[in-house]
Amino acid sequence: MLDYVIGKYNFWIYAVLMMIGLYAMMGKKNLVKKLIGMNIFQSAIILFYISTGVKTGGATVPILMGHAQEHGHQAIDVAGYLNPLPHVLMLTAIVVSIATTGVALAIIILIYRRYNTLEENEILKIRKDTGV
Amino acid sequence: MKVIALIAAIMTGALLIYGIEEMPKWGDPNSPASSHVSPLYIQEAIEKTATPNMVTAVLADYRGYDTLGETTVIFTAGIACVLMLRKKRKGGGD
Repeated sequence: MLDYVIGKYNFWIYAVLMMIGLYAMMGKKNLVKKLIGMNIFQSAIILFYISTGVKTGGATVPILMGHAQEHGHQAIDVAGYLNPLPHVLMLTAIVVSIATTGVALAIIILIYRRYNTLEENEILKIRKDTGV
Repeated sequence: MKVIALIAAIMTGALLIYGIEEMPKWGDPNSPASSHVSPLYIQEAIEKTATPNMVTAVLADYRGYDTLGETTVIFTAGIACVLMLRKKRKGGGD
């Protein structure tokens, strides 16, 4: 049981972080807090993917060292370099997360200009009272 | 409402923690993620793309069209922000 917790502690951290983000998205009333929850959720997923690229035992960042051109003819030691694919995919995911955060903040500014509040229940009450 | 959200989050978290059992150990060099296609990229990136940095080689060479689509996403987000936040002129004239 202890090995089950300590040997894979990274996944436990990501599961807890992801649930904090999910609860913030569903349970909070303030729109900015919902957005922060979405960012926590995305960060948990990004950390999870990055951790799948880790190799213990002397692996370095995936950049060929020294005489780069001469490596073409020799076999490259796969265990000596981290897995580059999760890094690439998460570079794309970070870009998409920045784009969604920016558009969401712009929409939140528009909502605040129109209703003068960011609380979800107050917005719904104003919409109900004015009959829009 | 908050109670329902809390119950849903805890149940989803329990499902995720149940799935942890199948995951590889921290830093396992023979984990599924780093034993199928990843060795091919590490070995052949320098030959095929002449780029020592494998992340750059995959991002801009193997997945070049993906990166092009990514710039489209950023462009669309920027245009959307500008259209939403600009000051609206009163009246129809320019």
